[in-house]
Amino acid sequence: MKLVAVVACTSGIAHTYIAKEKLIKAAEKKGHSIKVETQGTIGTEGKLTKKDIEEADLVIMATDIQTTGNERFDNKKKIKIATSIAVKASEQLIEKIENEILS
Amino acid sequence: MDEYLTENFNIADVITEGLIDLDLQAESKEEAILELTNILYKEGLITDVTDFSEDVFLREKEGATGLGQGVAIPHGKSDSVIKTALAIGKTTHPIEWESLDDKPVNIIILFAVRNTEANTLHIKLLQKVAILLADDSFIHALCHVKTKKELLRLLSKEPG
Repeated sequence: MKLVAVVACTSGIAHTYIAKEKLIKAAEKKGHSIKVETQGTIGTEGKLTKKDIEEADLVIMATDIQTTGNERFDNKKKIKIATSIAVKASEQLIEKIENEILS
Repeated sequence: MDEYLTENFNIADVITEGLIDLDLQAESKEEAILELTNILYKEGLITDVTDFSEDVFLREKEGATGLGQGVAIPHGKSDSVIKTALAIGKTTHPIEWESLDDKPVNIIILFAVRNTEANTLHIKLLQKVAILLADDSFIHALCHVKTKKELLRLLSKEPG
């Protein structure tokens, strides 16, 4: 499946980027494609395009703070988690998405 | 590959041997943060120990900075930071810390970030360290480093 994610932690310095890597590792391990947008202390990186969002089966919002551009996902299937879940249990998260949300 | 991994980075811009202490004496989280903050002060990277450590403690209240597997990444974005940098310490005894695996830590990586960081390169170096920290084999190697040089070598590794 195709996933997109937005990641933003409280200070936008470390957890955001660890969470991003963990999500990519876990999704790719399970054979899914994923694109991750980070909203950190130096701004937005890897901004999701309209096409990315259109094609995505699910949007993962791994956010501890209010993020910008959420209206882009208004009509999409979403899952909202804390960044700590992405850091600690990204593989379980992907499995949960496979089993419950997209089945 | 991400744009920020293809640029030419030198990790020495944010971490040097002087910013590493593999023999921290701290026995609590507060002591560990203060010990590392003192190192940052001695190296001329922050203007004030109290100001900076208070910003770090403030961040600690917002959520766990223990990543699990014995590693914690406290961080402070503060007006007292002169130059964005890291200070890394290894404690002799495991220290109680709010961690994602509820276990104590013995490797502490303190991120000191300027409040108005104009140099995105420095932030990207910190990002690179964060990316390394997402790799279990890196964490394993980190927990077993014996010398400062070994640690610096480990940190200069390209995430893969």
